[in-house]
Amino acid sequence: MRLPQFEYFAPVSLEDALKLKDQMRTSAWILAGGTDLVVNLKHRLLAPAALISIRNIRNLTGIDLTPDTLVIRAGTALAQVASHPAVKEHFPILVKAINSIGAMAIQHFRGTIGGNLCLTPRCLFYNQSLFWRKGKGSCHRTGAKDCLALKGSESCQSICSGDTVPVLLALSASVRLVGLGGSRVVPLTEFFSGLGESPYHILPEEILTEIRIPLPWAPISWSYQRLGMRSAVDFPLVNAAAVAVLDKGKVEHLRLVISAVGPAPVILREAEKEIKGAQPEPRMADRAAEIALRAAGGVVVENAIQSRDYRVKMAGVMARRAVKEALRL
Amino acid sequence: MRKQLLSLTVNGDPVELAVPPNYTLQEALRNDLGLKGVKEGCSEGVCGACTVLMNGAPVRACLTLALEAEGADIVTIEGLSKEGWLHPIQEAFVNLGAVQCGFCTPGMIMASKALLDRIPNPTDDDIEAALTGNFCRCTGYAKMRVAVRTAARELQEKAQD
Repeated sequence: MRLPQFEYFAPVSLEDALKLKDQMRTSAWILAGGTDLVVNLKHRLLAPAALISIRNIRNLTGIDLTPDTLVIRAGTALAQVASHPAVKEHFPILVKAINSIGAMAIQHFRGTIGGNLCLTPRCLFYNQSLFWRKGKGSCHRTGAKDCLALKGSESCQSICSGDTVPVLLALSASVRLVGLGGSRVVPLTEFFSGLGESPYHILPEEILTEIRIPLPWAPISWSYQRLGMRSAVDFPLVNAAAVAVLDKGKVEHLRLVISAVGPAPVILREAEKEIKGAQPEPRMADRAAEIALRAAGGVVVENAIQSRDYRVKMAGVMARRAVKEALRL
Repeated sequence: MRKQLLSLTVNGDPVELAVPPNYTLQEALRNDLGLKGVKEGCSEGVCGACTVLMNGAPVRACLTLALEAEGADIVTIEGLSKEGWLHPIQEAFVNLGAVQCGFCTPGMIMASKALLDRIPNPTDDDIEAALTGNFCRCTGYAKMRVAVRTAARELQEKAQD
């Protein structure tokens, strides 16, 4: 399969890259690992005038440990993140999520953490070849004003498919977005728009440079659950992450997230509220499942390889397992 | 779309090419340098037939822009044999019948090489994890696992000599 035509820039500094992005805005895409972007280009899903490669920009890779935060630069390869001693020590949940992405030889050495977080949302009717799509008609993302998965929907319902998304959200991470005018740090809770056609609150002139994870103030217990058709080379059908702090027999802190259900991950705040402050007990996992089931029922549409009903049901199962493991039930 | 100059090392030799930006590494290696061992299977990163080593790491040549390989050290299946002698991994694949139709073989061997360079004495789990991204539609996976194990032993014995 041939690639469409585009200009290629490989600036040597972040400033040069930002200047290009400032001029070209949405017509230029950032090329990091390319393991998702290049496929989408081959399928003619995107038609950027230019790609801005970050391979020459030194300060977009690497991991720093500050007294209270782990800073992962967005262009760091997934394999590098998963094998870093500080990540292994503080956030084994992130290692587990990374190891479940695609396959080692595809994503792990080229794919980056920033790329996985900002994966283009996926849909059964969108992630297809040009030939296939021609027979189906257009949607929000291909120039029309309708959704092929959910007739009459006002926005694209594609699925947020990153494996690291629920995990980073459960770890209360934030991201640094840099533009020519300055930089800002946005918590991940405010990063997702919920619109499949423009899923992230990144301005056209901005570049994602860092993922910042606060170091836990107490030992955390965690769980990452993922359901896929196969164990490798597949995007999650549903995934869930739970991060808890258990202290003196009580649940001091809990963050519970399900993802790969709709355009944005879903934080199960109702479940968190019920569980926080109480002693861990088995019925909590069932309650989390009920709440997840209800939440997923509101966002899942018929747009993945498995049916809507199955995915909704499995969202409950993933949430139950996540709570069970994180609360050591 | 202007062509851009690309210099890299392929199988130990310095190479200079002029390629358009939308050229993949797979197209450059196969079409311009005639390295036909870099197979084009699915062309979208799923099958692993185009796997080559880029600075020692296994990458999909079909998902890597040629220009992204500027200055890189690329090794393809053609670069493994030395003075007419097959590499121990190739030997093991041949001797143990881990080759059926042969289309996935270059990618399998390159992914195995990347594994053995990192982990000289891999467990079965390591081997499976390293080869999950490579598809064999003749389904000769069991023999490949044995071949990688055998090659690992062979390479370690050689290293001791």
